[in-house]
Amino acid sequence: MKEKTREKINTIIKKYPEKQSAVMPVMQLLQKENKNHLNLAGMKDAARAAGLGLNRVYGIATYYTLFNTKPVGKYHLQVDTCVPGFLHGADKIVRHLEKKLGISVGETTKDKLFTLSTVQDLASCATGPVIQVNDRYYENMTPAKTDKLIESLKKGKYPESDTSMNIVSKSNILLNDRTQKDCTGLAFYKKNGGYRALKKAMTMEPEQIIDEVKESQIRGRGGAGFPAGMKWSFLPKNDTRPVYLICNADEGEPGTFKDRQIMEFNPHLVVEGIAISARAIKAAKAFIYIRGEFGWIADILEKAIEEAKKDGQLSHVDILVHRGGGSYVCGDETAQIESLEGMRGNPRVKPPFPANFGLYGCPTVVNNVETLANVPYIVEKGAAAYRKIGNPNNHGPKIYGISGHVNKPGVYEYPLGTKLDELLKAAGGVKGTLKGVIVGGLSVAILTAKEAKNLVLDYDSCQKAGTALGSGGIIVINDTVSIPELALRTIEFYHHESCGQCVPCREGSHVITAKLRGLLAGKGKMEDIDLILHLCKNIKGLTLCPTGEAFSVPIQAMITKYRKEFEALVK
Amino acid sequence: MTNSFGEFENAKIFFLIGTNMTEAHPVAAYLVKRALKKGAKLIVADPRKHDLAKKADIYAQIKVGSDVAFLNGIMNVLLTEDLYDKKFIEENCENFDELKNTVMAYPPEKAEQISGVPAGTIREIARTMAAVKPAMLCYTLGITEHTCGKNNVMSTSNLQMLLGNLGMPSAGVNPLRGQNNVQGACDMGALPGVYPGYQSVANKEIKEKFAKAWGVDNLPEKPGLMIPDMMAALPTKKVRAFYIFGENLANSEPNITHVERELGSAEFIVCNDIFHTETTRFAHVILPAAAWCEDEGTFTSSERRVNRVRKIKEAPGDAKPNWWIFKEIAKRMGHEWKSNSTREIWDNEVSVLAPAYAGIKYSRIDGGENEPMNRDGLQWPCPNQDHPGTQFLHRDGKFTRGKGLFKGIEWTPPAEVEDAEYPFVLSTGRRLFHYHTRTQTARSGLDMILPEETADISHADARELGIANGEYVRVSSRRGSVKVKARVTEQIPPGLIWMAFHFREGNANWLTNNVFDPETKTAEYKACAVKLEKIG
Amino acid sequence: MAKTIQIDGKVFPFDGTKTVLEIARENGIYIPSLCYHPRLGPASKCRVCVVEVEGMRSLQTACSLMPTDNMIVQTSTERVIEARKMVVNLLLANGNHNCLYCDMNGDCELQEVVHHLGIEHPAFIVEEKMELDDSAAFILRDPGKCIQCGRCIAGCNDQVVNEVLDFGYRGSHTAVICDSDIPMGQSTCVQCGECVQLCPVGALLEKKNLRKAFPWETRKVRTTCPYCGVGCQLELHVKGEQIIRVRGVEGAQPNLGRLCVKGRYGYDFIYSPDRLTTPLIREKDGNLREAGWDEALDLVANKFKQIISESGPDAIAGVSCARSVNEDSYNMQKLFRSVIGTNNIDHCART
Repeated sequence: MKEKTREKINTIIKKYPEKQSAVMPVMQLLQKENKNHLNLAGMKDAARAAGLGLNRVYGIATYYTLFNTKPVGKYHLQVDTCVPGFLHGADKIVRHLEKKLGISVGETTKDKLFTLSTVQDLASCATGPVIQVNDRYYENMTPAKTDKLIESLKKGKYPESDTSMNIVSKSNILLNDRTQKDCTGLAFYKKNGGYRALKKAMTMEPEQIIDEVKESQIRGRGGAGFPAGMKWSFLPKNDTRPVYLICNADEGEPGTFKDRQIMEFNPHLVVEGIAISARAIKAAKAFIYIRGEFGWIADILEKAIEEAKKDGQLSHVDILVHRGGGSYVCGDETAQIESLEGMRGNPRVKPPFPANFGLYGCPTVVNNVETLANVPYIVEKGAAAYRKIGNPNNHGPKIYGISGHVNKPGVYEYPLGTKLDELLKAAGGVKGTLKGVIVGGLSVAILTAKEAKNLVLDYDSCQKAGTALGSGGIIVINDTVSIPELALRTIEFYHHESCGQCVPCREGSHVITAKLRGLLAGKGKMEDIDLILHLCKNIKGLTLCPTGEAFSVPIQAMITKYRKEFEALVK
Repeated sequence: MTNSFGEFENAKIFFLIGTNMTEAHPVAAYLVKRALKKGAKLIVADPRKHDLAKKADIYAQIKVGSDVAFLNGIMNVLLTEDLYDKKFIEENCENFDELKNTVMAYPPEKAEQISGVPAGTIREIARTMAAVKPAMLCYTLGITEHTCGKNNVMSTSNLQMLLGNLGMPSAGVNPLRGQNNVQGACDMGALPGVYPGYQSVANKEIKEKFAKAWGVDNLPEKPGLMIPDMMAALPTKKVRAFYIFGENLANSEPNITHVERELGSAEFIVCNDIFHTETTRFAHVILPAAAWCEDEGTFTSSERRVNRVRKIKEAPGDAKPNWWIFKEIAKRMGHEWKSNSTREIWDNEVSVLAPAYAGIKYSRIDGGENEPMNRDGLQWPCPNQDHPGTQFLHRDGKFTRGKGLFKGIEWTPPAEVEDAEYPFVLSTGRRLFHYHTRTQTARSGLDMILPEETADISHADARELGIANGEYVRVSSRRGSVKVKARVTEQIPPGLIWMAFHFREGNANWLTNNVFDPETKTAEYKACAVKLEKIG
Repeated sequence: MAKTIQIDGKVFPFDGTKTVLEIARENGIYIPSLCYHPRLGPASKCRVCVVEVEGMRSLQTACSLMPTDNMIVQTSTERVIEARKMVVNLLLANGNHNCLYCDMNGDCELQEVVHHLGIEHPAFIVEEKMELDDSAAFILRDPGKCIQCGRCIAGCNDQVVNEVLDFGYRGSHTAVICDSDIPMGQSTCVQCGECVQLCPVGALLEKKNLRKAFPWETRKVRTTCPYCGVGCQLELHVKGEQIIRVRGVEGAQPNLGRLCVKGRYGYDFIYSPDRLTTPLIREKDGNLREAGWDEALDLVANKFKQIISESGPDAIAGVSCARSVNEDSYNMQKLFRSVIGTNNIDHCART
């Protein structure tokens, strides 16, 4: 190993309270320094550095999708073919690339320049199709743009990426003006009133901050909508153990791409939110667990943290950006904690809950990026002002991500409780005839066009309508789409992402995938449809973590609401 | 062991010296590793950087045979930095001044010169041990198999007394016994100076007690010979008959050539065994014995626990239990012994005659009525049948002899050290996949995993001599020479060769030095001088 | 007043140290489980131990569920049975669960659950057979029978801390791996067999005595290991006079079920054809000849008597055995001291 690499490893290890947590960053480093290939020697080095067995490192390397345990081409082209990508025409790009490069998915060109893969969800839902080239995103791709990309890469040059997207901020709290060149900088942020809330928070008692946030009634924006202030108040009192704050930036639910907008263009808002929250819960160490694909956003955050630190904003808390390895399940708070501890991202059995037994067995709070980004406003303007936004019990601004068949896919920051119709109108209206809509990320029940009429987009209203607001990722589906095909894409995602720990999720997603594939291939039987429904019914609520529910609910809804389309496949 | 295996898991810190548990006591190593997972600290002192050494918080790669100097160096730091347990010593120990006088002559820098362990590391060990209490000290044959073996042992107890690490759970001085029933054979009085239960043969009252129980008028009071002296007395005919029960001395004793000369000179050798061995070649009478699983009985483990051993099959052919063979010889010499089973021997004799086992009866270690095998063994001392057994000795610092006795101990080098002609140190021991002279493991399929002996050498020496891993080399000492495969490993420091005695071919005991600790008569298996030659 | 829990209509007091599964089992109520093992604690992976708890929306895994006062638990409602059946059918859908041929037939936790639930035929798809790993000396791996319960992995990493096994890959590709997913025989595995002991099914088998006995044909005999001085407690599974397999005795000191390679697999020597079966006397020509016990013992006794009378008792010396039982050593020293009249008795006490 090169001396320089060894130094880098030591630097990484020093950042973490326990060295096993450094295992993934070290693996990432060694992969990067070895032509994007984590070979056996690299795994052994990582194991030694983190004090773990090779078995554990191999288990990690084969769990997280971003580790390449086999050599890949110089440019690893990864096309997101999950539901939003699919709706935006990703399959066409895949076929185009296959033809252009003369290889199939999973293969590498003879000159070792390109490896082509399909991947599941890059959180680029409104800007699909997207090709990730190593750690860069190329969004809004067309066959012509793809050709240009390949030609440029062949010359060894990464071209500029077209990241244009519709962005509307009616509430003007979470999203700033991303067209401004220096919008991620400290000066820009402070000029617009940034870090005033933190200053105020530093004069408040931690309990006061918690009370304020409690009174704001803000509900967690990660998907479950659990009151954030209450979550904080579950931390044990008079406990001598350190408290950890984790900012959950592992945005991975298909249809969801809101957190990346805040982090990428308004990073100081996240930093300030973390700083205030850390003071509230008395955490001296905070982590931003960001999904590994968001490499450049992690850099932006690190730069913002550095700026804030230099500006004296972070005297009370040390914030560390930790890159994930490619795993949807790590969005679950206990899986995220496991992952941060240097393990496979398997969710933990609850209880105990993280508030009592989280990271390293210490009290831990895991909050979503958007949740934390709301905190500065609440602290600065007060809970009462915050409650004025939105509907009763559903307060504050919400970033809705709209993807699929609308004319202007993008992010829309509106108050909670905005009507779906209003948002669709803002998004330029539906392309073609609306067939169905998924309003809370892929894991919620699809609504038919009829059911979606007059839907109010807040937590309680969506629940009443038989679905969930979830992360607010709205996927719009027009009548060109086959629902069985959509169902297959859906189950393929969860099948791919299932951690494999518990039987109903691991085996259930496997059997449902096989049965849906069979149906779509014309080999299905009528009883397969009932079998899938039987599995969905029983898997719901039976799994160790919410992933089982995340696929059984949407699949069940698709089949029950569009059963005829499934039956039509049986020959 | 003063303490018990069950206490390992809750230990706060281990000090392991001269013990490679991973290979010699694997299950004990599991317990150590489990404790480490729970946050225990680990200090390892060993010439070899073995598996546990790699996991150690502090590893001291000491030179073979330098233990006393090294331990004195640690104690020197404890004294000079005022880190020792004064209260414990005041209340429970004596002769502290003697220790102090000796140890003060071993500043860490001097200890470093002798042991090769940096003075800084010695200080760090002392400070760490003083900071975390209690510490569990464990050793194995790396401590005892030296001409200064007894001194090594006493140094370990000096250290633990100085730190007050005795008389409580997860503390103590814990020698892990190498064989399943070496503890039991000691306990049963298969030692020249004591009756069962460590009752001295020189004590008149005790002698009378045993004479009465055994139905004889008198018993010898002069302590007998130890093994090396017995064997040395064979050529001179001072010992004319030699009874060897289940030991393969011809392979397991140091300097095989010499041992075989002694055995060959014997007038009359009787062997009880389950197989022909290298030793039975010298026997005049071989008596076939029942093996493990072929008789009921008890073993006593390192933690003083008397465990049941059970019969599942008949001995093959005419093979008989050993106790029966001895009883029959006694009968033919005019002594009719009553006990006619292991249960009768234990319940009616051992536990009656030895106070430490008075409370241990087969009924107590056999189990309940419905589950006749569900009980754990009992740990001695167990003075009466209501006593639960003793998990750790010296509770609250109360020693058997009254006060714990410090002893000032000077370091002495091994009898044979490396020189120009024999520039390497040879040290020996056991490996995971075999046991002793392989009489059992070779017949249980373990050769599949480890088919032959190796000489373990360092990468540096291999490079220097141009020896490849797996290549045959010649290792020679003043006593013999073997051809053996080299195993190049990062466990071994330059200048050291490490071998085992599992195979006749390449057996380390062709090379080892037949010199002994003057008191315990333990051989210096751990140190002799050898040379290493490339063959091809 | 003691806190109580109601399970299937029966009321049991509890002290807060035990899970619902443990309370139920102690009181004779069968709740099936596959990934739970008393030594490893709850894993909540298999979901077979789910029960219905009044006031709780989802089914709860009994292995991880701590009772609360007045908790009302139903262990076999229709909903519970349906869920369990689905889970077990999902497990049967993959691999090769052929009991007829399996050494663990009759001692298999999956088989027990299948039997309990009355699943006559697996309900879903059956995938192709997976390849055996026959590379190791003593352990045979059959991934087709593996249900990914993780007990072997917990055993390898947390119980014996050998750190060889782990889960590799993810989702339905999840598999038990050795090191970097290499055959066990090439891995750092030391064949301690902890994984075999903890395996609830027939995915980890012992190559010794493969297909020599069904579990119900063996009797279980507890004994002490004949190797090092730790004194591990062994449970021998014996058919006739043949040891079929060795298990560590769960819950017994000092090893609590754990063993090493020698303790678990080093037993064949007692059956060796090399065993001495008859007394042997060396002739003048140096050859050994077979003899009866009387002749051999008389010879020894007479020789001893002769030497004692000629040279005194101290001309005889004996070495006892550190491998054999206490009672043997006791009788040997008794022979030397009380019959021969010497203290020349020793053993390799220091090695």
